[in-house]
Amino acid sequence: MKRVRSQRNLIRLVVIAAIGLGLFAMILRRGAASYSPQPLSWIEAGAGGTLPAEMNFENLSGKVGILNTSGPIEMKGHPFFEPLGVNPRGCVTCHQPANAMSVSVDALRERWRVTKGEDPVFAAVDGSNNPMLPQALESSHSLLLNRGLFRVGLQWPPRDRNGKVSQPEFTIEVVRDPTGVNLDSTYGLKGVNPTVSVFRRPRPVANLKYVMSPDDVFNIKTGTLMATDPETGQPVGMNLMADSRHLTLKQQAIGAYRDHQEGRQGLSSESLQKIIAFENQVYVAQSSDKWGGSLVEPNGPIGLGPRAMADGKIHVLANNNRDPVFRLFDSWKKPDAMPQELTAAQREFRASVARGNDVFMFRQFWIRDVTHINSIGLGNPIKRSCSTCHNVQMTGQDLAPGWVDVGTTNYPTWTEPPVFSDKAELPVFKCTCDKVAPPHPYLGRVIYTNDPGRALITGKCVDIGSIVMGQFRGLAARAPYFSNGSAKNLRELVDFYDRRFDMKLTEQEKQDLENFLSVL
Amino acid sequence: MSTALTILMALAAVFFTGATTVVQHDKPPANRRNFIACPIVRDTKTMPCWLAEYEGELYYLGQQGSSSSEFYPPQLNHEVLVEGTVANEARICGGIPLKSVRISVRQELNRACNTLLPAEDGLDAPPAPARRPVEQLRQQGAETDGREFIVPFDFDSDYLTLHTTRIVGESARVAKAVNASRIEVMGYRATTWLSNGQKFIEAASIAERRAKKIGGILVGLGLLPAAVSVKWKSEPEPCDGVTDPEKRRVTIKIVP
Repeated sequence: MKRVRSQRNLIRLVVIAAIGLGLFAMILRRGAASYSPQPLSWIEAGAGGTLPAEMNFENLSGKVGILNTSGPIEMKGHPFFEPLGVNPRGCVTCHQPANAMSVSVDALRERWRVTKGEDPVFAAVDGSNNPMLPQALESSHSLLLNRGLFRVGLQWPPRDRNGKVSQPEFTIEVVRDPTGVNLDSTYGLKGVNPTVSVFRRPRPVANLKYVMSPDDVFNIKTGTLMATDPETGQPVGMNLMADSRHLTLKQQAIGAYRDHQEGRQGLSSESLQKIIAFENQVYVAQSSDKWGGSLVEPNGPIGLGPRAMADGKIHVLANNNRDPVFRLFDSWKKPDAMPQELTAAQREFRASVARGNDVFMFRQFWIRDVTHINSIGLGNPIKRSCSTCHNVQMTGQDLAPGWVDVGTTNYPTWTEPPVFSDKAELPVFKCTCDKVAPPHPYLGRVIYTNDPGRALITGKCVDIGSIVMGQFRGLAARAPYFSNGSAKNLRELVDFYDRRFDMKLTEQEKQDLENFLSVL
Repeated sequence: MSTALTILMALAAVFFTGATTVVQHDKPPANRRNFIACPIVRDTKTMPCWLAEYEGELYYLGQQGSSSSEFYPPQLNHEVLVEGTVANEARICGGIPLKSVRISVRQELNRACNTLLPAEDGLDAPPAPARRPVEQLRQQGAETDGREFIVPFDFDSDYLTLHTTRIVGESARVAKAVNASRIEVMGYRATTWLSNGQKFIEAASIAERRAKKIGGILVGLGLLPAAVSVKWKSEPEPCDGVTDPEKRRVTIKIVP
């Protein structure tokens, strides 16, 4: 009897242990599957396969949704997904669906680990700090691995649209060069082809109907005519690139093929057509949140999720309370009025997002010393909110050409250490403006900067440090932030603005803004 | 000779001879305020007010608006040239209002211009002015029979605002509509007679820059380069302390 009992007890123990282990494994799997980066979500150029019409990729905040409105895409032979140049990169290498069609530092680090640094994304040409450094060393790729930055080498002095060298309003000196590339005899400013190398994040190739939407015939930032598409003669949006150097998707594709893929043969018109067609049909937005649950449900906020991006109207100035930038969050404002099946944590998170939207839209502060905002007739300072500048519905870019010097790249407000640090990674340039040229409106005629931004294209002193503001969608999938990758997470991004504009945000406001940005 | 005596003599000359006489002042008219100062911004319960001080008195310039507002505010970190006429109206935001005020931001930095005042009870901004319809903006600058357009500029500036780009755009539209044989662009530079008696003259190159900029835009808007003549007057326009801002201009004449 005892033996039977002990046998039964043993069986019970085994069953309980098995159930326990099973549950433990399920919890582990669920946790790992839900909220840690997925190495397998990386798409290699040339790997082939089918890109589904709808996808959801997990990230630290939840999931990012990708919507291909033209249906599933066969990647084999598709020029966006195939290596076309000398190196084995494709467009997809730096524009990964899992990273909201950009690329995150987490994904890059994982890629380094998995491939031991052999992935084409680390190509010497721009995936390293300096092509002359030993490429096998992790330290030679620190800007990419730590901040998601690719090297962008730009001719100096700049060329105009016809390729003619133009006379810039300022001179450039390299005063610090941690990577060595700007003083290099081949790649540097004093090389045979004088080049200024800056380091920037790749922008999401998605939601482009908003990004490319043209404004008026006149450019309010310059008081001159808007740039036009050389093929159609029609005004262009100028919000595609950080420095607006490429005006159309075609120009950008040709430039990327040449500069990032080291292509020399030229892209066929068929390839260009396919690349542009793909880019114009892909939409991205966060689709679910680990705390707030699904972001795309009936009666929820109408501006969330990739479908809303595909369906939204373009070129809507939305810095108002009638139909705000990211639409209305009214249904998330009151936890008590939310569906009963939601947990208390879900309700509180959603209420926080709704408050964050209100902070973004309506929390006033003094916007001060921002070139191309304060300097274009609005006054300096102006008492406004985040949505004054980030005013386009659905993306939060600027309706006008969105280059502004918000202070991320120019000393003393730059995002780098305020005092000397031997750990500083970005180059420092000294720009000295011509005496007769209009100076930088808030920094004068001598400007120290990590990235002259738009001025490397226009040669104008007033543009030094101006960067085209990026779109806000799929943020959770593509940290870090700012063009120079200086904000490791959304809290650091919020903190920069809090410091820069002395906003005196409360801890609650910061958390609400962070939650709000994470669901876009 | 005192200003009062000068005016009396001029009036007498007009009375007895019937001829128009130019009255010579050593300063602009007494109700004008033309001066360069650091601007002051004062917060209010609504929109911030912009003020400037001259000879111990505070003047109200205008309030924060938008890029489509008629009044473009000054900028801290820069001095501002103020040109306006004292209005016999109640103070606004603590300052004496100026009529027909024109603001020109000086381009060089002056970090001493950094006064930001908090809101105070009793010092309120006026109601925000209504936005002007685009059609109204398009009419601005239209002169005579609609064939000559005047594009005004701030002092020493060739920047086209939202309003003034509309004028240029409208001139191009009219030129196309009447199938103009010639479009004559003429740039001017001006002098401002400051209230302290000094003459403040625009940069020598500004008339040329203004004219070339407008000419280039007209061609960019589709007018034939051969039909667009671009000229400028290098000599600064004379000043009277009242109409000086109107002389900082480019005229666009449409010849059918």
